[in-house]
Amino acid sequence: MNHVDGHPGASPGLSPTQAKLLALQELVRRAASQVDSAHSEIGETRAILKDAVEQLMPAFTALRNSEKSGELRDSPTAERIRAIRASGPAFSALQFQDISDQLLAHAQVRLQRLLAEVEGVAAALGSSDAEPSKIEALMQMVATANDNLAALDISLVKPVGKAHLGTGDMEFF
Amino acid sequence: MKTILTVDDSPSIRQMLAYVLSSNGYQVIEAGDGEEGLMLAKANRADLVLTDQNMPKMDGIALIKALRALPAYKQVPIMMLTTESSPALKQQGRDAGATGWMVKPFDPEKLLEMLKKILG
Repeated sequence: MNHVDGHPGASPGLSPTQAKLLALQELVRRAASQVDSAHSEIGETRAILKDAVEQLMPAFTALRNSEKSGELRDSPTAERIRAIRASGPAFSALQFQDISDQLLAHAQVRLQRLLAEVEGVAAALGSSDAEPSKIEALMQMVATANDNLAALDISLVKPVGKAHLGTGDMEFF
Repeated sequence: MKTILTVDDSPSIRQMLAYVLSSNGYQVIEAGDGEEGLMLAKANRADLVLTDQNMPKMDGIALIKALRALPAYKQVPIMMLTTESSPALKQQGRDAGATGWMVKPFDPEKLLEMLKKILG
């Protein structure tokens, strides 16, 4: 890690403002790297969940196959109900996976937007020097990035409102 | 054969609903969001609509309001099938004209019982 602005290892020949900008740039780049890693890890988690649920879905696969072949559709009602009942846990598992996947995908979009803003600021920091006009332009960019991130909660459609497990209730109005 | 319009942005949920409903004698029309749901509702005559709440383009409550504005859908049962269960949102659904509210994950058997009760 580089140390700047009076700290041990500070780059010689830099003004205090330039040194602060360099330190800030390093912080922003590190933050971008962490966000990128978190985005990738969420992607891996989604893949693992998908894989796990697919391996645990023989009942659903059986139902799907019998439906595709017309076997279930043409069978007596009691048999269809039995098949549906036997597949109940598989349906629940798949729905929980689906709900989790939507939440994780939502978090990934959030991280992608954050990463784009942070990378933009990092690039601007890299091209800035200590001239007041450039600092002003940089601050404007940071303010825009802040506004964009603050607007994320409004612009991103919330995918899921559930916070607990359990088959859902039903009511008629 | 009764026709059910399912509106959900999750392909998995649409697929599951299609399996459960079609294997029990219902014809299924699938839409991926409220806008598509509205378009398909206008192009077809559904006997019942099952809709999610949180969807891109148009959410479930907006879809219900739009459907209730159509003469053909004033009396058609519209059920919400969603992960949302807050009383405030349920009230919004009721005010928009929803027939009922079912919280995901759904139990296929309960869903079929409900449909039998509504559609006969």
